[in-house]
Amino acid sequence: MADRRLLRLTRRTLWQALPTVLGIVLLNFLLLRLIPGDAVDVLASESGGATVATLAQWRSHFGLDLSLGEQLLAYLSHLAHFDLGLSPRFNVPVIQLILDRLPNTLLLMVSSLVLALVVGIAAGAVMASKVGRWPDRALSLAVLVLYSTPGFWIGLMAVVLFSVTLGWLPSDGIATLGLDLSGADWLLDRVKHVVLPVLTLSSFYIALYARLTRASMLEVQRLDFVRTAKAKGLHPARVAIRHVLRNALLPVTTLAGLHFAALLGGAAVTETLFGWPGLGRLTLDAVLSRDYNLLLGILLLSSMLVVAVNVSMDLLQAWLDPRIRV
Amino acid sequence: MPFSRRQFIKGLSALPLLGASVPFLPTALAAATEQAITGRRIFNLLVNPEPPSLSSFNTTAGTTITASSKVLEGLLGYDENLAPQPALATAWEAAADGLSYRFTLRQGVKWHDGQPFTSEDVAFSLDLIKRFHPRGGGTFANLASVETPDAHTAIVRLSKPAPYLIRAFAAGETPILPKHLYASGDPLSNPHNNAPVGTGPYRFKQWQRGSFIEYERNPDYWNAGYPGVDTLFLKVIPDSAARLAAFENGSLDAGGQSPVPLSDLARITANGKLKFTTRGYAYSITPTMLEFNLDNPLLARHEVRQAIAHAIDREVIRKVVYYGYADVSVSPIPKSFAQYHYDGPDPYPFDIAKANALLDQAGLPKKGTSRFSLTLDPLPYGDSYARTATYIRSALARVGIDVQLRAQDFPTYIKRVYTDRDFDFAVVGMGTTFDPTVGVQRLFWSKNFRKGVPFTNGTHYNNPEVDRLLESAAVETDETRRGELFKAFQKIVIEELPSITLVMQQQVTVFNARVSGFEADGNGLDGSLAAVSITGEAVAHG
Amino acid sequence: MSTIAFPVQRAGRSESLWGALRRNPAALTGAAILLLTLFMALTAGYFFPGDPLDMVAAPLLWPGSDPAYLLGTDSLGRDVAAGIAHGARASLLIALYGTLISVLIGVTVGALAGYHGGRLDDILTRLSEVFQTVPSFLLVIVIVAIGTPTVNIIALAIGVSSWPTIARLIRAEFRTLREADFVTAARSQGFSSRTVILEEILPNALAPLVVTASILVASAILIEAGLAFLGMSDPNTASWGGMIGSGREQIASAWYLTALPGIAIIAVVLAFNLLGDGLNDALNPRLRRYLP
Repeated sequence: MADRRLLRLTRRTLWQALPTVLGIVLLNFLLLRLIPGDAVDVLASESGGATVATLAQWRSHFGLDLSLGEQLLAYLSHLAHFDLGLSPRFNVPVIQLILDRLPNTLLLMVSSLVLALVVGIAAGAVMASKVGRWPDRALSLAVLVLYSTPGFWIGLMAVVLFSVTLGWLPSDGIATLGLDLSGADWLLDRVKHVVLPVLTLSSFYIALYARLTRASMLEVQRLDFVRTAKAKGLHPARVAIRHVLRNALLPVTTLAGLHFAALLGGAAVTETLFGWPGLGRLTLDAVLSRDYNLLLGILLLSSMLVVAVNVSMDLLQAWLDPRIRV
Repeated sequence: MPFSRRQFIKGLSALPLLGASVPFLPTALAAATEQAITGRRIFNLLVNPEPPSLSSFNTTAGTTITASSKVLEGLLGYDENLAPQPALATAWEAAADGLSYRFTLRQGVKWHDGQPFTSEDVAFSLDLIKRFHPRGGGTFANLASVETPDAHTAIVRLSKPAPYLIRAFAAGETPILPKHLYASGDPLSNPHNNAPVGTGPYRFKQWQRGSFIEYERNPDYWNAGYPGVDTLFLKVIPDSAARLAAFENGSLDAGGQSPVPLSDLARITANGKLKFTTRGYAYSITPTMLEFNLDNPLLARHEVRQAIAHAIDREVIRKVVYYGYADVSVSPIPKSFAQYHYDGPDPYPFDIAKANALLDQAGLPKKGTSRFSLTLDPLPYGDSYARTATYIRSALARVGIDVQLRAQDFPTYIKRVYTDRDFDFAVVGMGTTFDPTVGVQRLFWSKNFRKGVPFTNGTHYNNPEVDRLLESAAVETDETRRGELFKAFQKIVIEELPSITLVMQQQVTVFNARVSGFEADGNGLDGSLAAVSITGEAVAHG
Repeated sequence: MSTIAFPVQRAGRSESLWGALRRNPAALTGAAILLLTLFMALTAGYFFPGDPLDMVAAPLLWPGSDPAYLLGTDSLGRDVAAGIAHGARASLLIALYGTLISVLIGVTVGALAGYHGGRLDDILTRLSEVFQTVPSFLLVIVIVAIGTPTVNIIALAIGVSSWPTIARLIRAEFRTLREADFVTAARSQGFSSRTVILEEILPNALAPLVVTASILVASAILIEAGLAFLGMSDPNTASWGGMIGSGREQIASAWYLTALPGIAIIAVVLAFNLLGDGLNDALNPRLRRYLP
């Protein structure tokens, strides 16, 4: 019964996502064509010059001499065959570039999101349970300052402190090169590299979830079923966790799905700062080198990822709260 | 609020003090500990930005040259005075008429896949370079044929003399490629462009895009016992703060092209663990220039350009913009080409009053504080051009020229200047390379005004006398006579000002004190790095 | 998105906005910081006449080392204090202007979708989903790359990428309010949709709009700073983000070049957030709604 409900929800959401994804392709395709210069300009300037004939030859090689409509049709027909095309800048299939970087970005984003959720919800729960008293006030202020601080600024200051001054943590890359580590050493090395980028990327979201959780718990505390639970004499901690927190997490999970897209944007800055070979930086490189195929591929894939996250969040909510209309 | 702003600032100000007093913790010594653990000699070299490919036969992208020259070798190497040194060629000889060069090739050299290296590879590669290298069409324009009388002799025949040619055979500029891997198919999409097979001291192992390129020692290298490094990592680190940290904690051993903010050089090299040098850049010196769009009616007027020249103090650019790591230069050919460099006086020395007077006379009076407004486009590459532009904005404000700066990314800039020609003036820097005919002529020769092609004659300068001088110098085999032609050319452009040469940049290489053996190479870190060695124990680093 | 069946209650506004704010010290602090910043922005030309981007002194003077340049100079010898004062203008201008654009687009889309419902709602909702699925910061970068990084383009990019937040909020408000008695009454009197939207419903949706807008201003300042970090700032205008962007090269030696404008950004963003929270408490005392 419940299963059928969830199945229907999944199907409907996926069906609705299709036009969104198409819209994204269209929007970006057109936007990107508005940027002055194309990949061949970049190739020519990077390689230090070229003849007019070479430029024309390159343009026809990458299909850049076709009209806008023809280019769009060509792209869509490739797409229909699950082909994202070739990246002019790297001379490598787009899908290969993306798949190379995807795990790194997922590691960064998922770690950041998990950290933000865990710390944020914990802080929010503490604030809500001590509302109006000093732990609430102190944490609220700390959270608000964190909420107001640019993530990259925290990252820069962290690099100065932990990498340059103290030398505790590495400031670039995802692992120490040339070390054939295994087991615990390998893990430790990876963890050391991931600490600063994750802190940088998650700082804002820690604050965000703390605020959301606090507000949402205060909201739920007033609802009838909580009063009933309290009136029944249940232990306050049990009420707080089983009844209040569980229901308060609803808006948090909705937004966490939405934030996935925002995190990817934030990853562009974080990855640049820490030399993290992920999708965010690849996107930035793609814009700067006018690598439209690559850029479209990334945006398409990331939007599909966002859609997938949204669907799972919807399902999670439907499971958390049976009142949701499907 | 629980803390005051002042306390916060005070807290922050403790940071650099800590930096001075707390010694490096051993955990930070990534590179050194690596060596201690694995026993491998690892060399971490910076490449920034990430190279577009690893084979430089069709590109002059700086980091591709850095990456390519370790695997693919050239016929010759060069010392700091650009005197040729043996590499794949052990002997070379130019004919008296300048129309042929005879190269004797090294015996017993093998490609990394085991095939023997022969004169066929040389003939094939020179033809490829002529067709595909951005400068190849110019450098090898007079190449008629390459004869291969035997497997270890190559004779290059020219239709006209090319006096600069003997300096063009560096690994990065004219790499020798394996014919057996490139003969079939389109060379531009050959998979070996991203996984090169060469004769060099290092073999390609892997390329993790966005992160690093790994090369390993070539055990069969023709120079037995070299290189003194087992693994060479080329690391991509896009952020300057992260680069700085990587140098300081030992996870980067060397980086060229001023890899860290020049303002930090003194501080990071103070304790002796890191060193820096400006040697190793003889093969290409980059000037910083102000190029005018002569199609702009205002800037087409000689007196306006003169006034701008008078308003600029090159010494400020040298000292402030480049932190002293530059040489003031009036002439577009650097001093390092002693035989070609024109050392005459600056006809338009720094003189604000003169600049104002010239503009008044030109009928461009001040209205309020400003006479007219111009837009300045700095080349978006590194930050030194933008910094120079900021100074020029400041300097020209003092003579009543209101300068608006335009920020844009690289492709937008290239399209604006070379295709759309939608600019007033630009701060640019284009390498003078190994010879003025290759590196300087392109900016002033009227036949090189080619719309849509980057790094050509961007000013639209057209002077038949200059054309004649440049074209004669290109084929003149007599060095003295060639020098006179170049000096006459410089005298004219310094006077006519299609562009203003401001300074010659000094590039800085930062390196860890434990590495040595690349400075004497005219190509520096862009050489093969075969002679590099790593000294000192891992602990010594701490 | 599914609809969450929360009980929606509208607070009666029993006391004046000012009265509610006055009893909220956090909001007052925020307002004070903002007034100070505004004062700084307005008087920048008086206290620091001339171009703040002019090279006026020796480069890299530390704060306090020269009384003429209290906050020191940057690597080109530009006065940091003048930059901070003048930068307040640009940063506030970009943020307010960007927010205005996103409010205009968001209110239009949200009102049309929420009021009319049906097919139009579907299309507009889909449209805003497209914008929400694309990472907004990347969209900002693309738009700035199309134009050049000038104050106007940056503001436009911020506006274009952040309107869906407003649209979602307004749509939800309109969907609730369109069935309210006073709206039905207005409609039955034959008022046009335009009049009903602008004169009946919108004023009632103003409270959450103001709260969300104040938070958007804060995030716009952060976006501007992030862009500047990547080197996309207007080189002709002193802005805090631009100062961080040009000072971060010296992060290890002259960290004050990054820290000082960073602190300015944190202070103003904090002020907007404090004010936003205060307004939220004042306007929606029961319904603490967060739509960051």
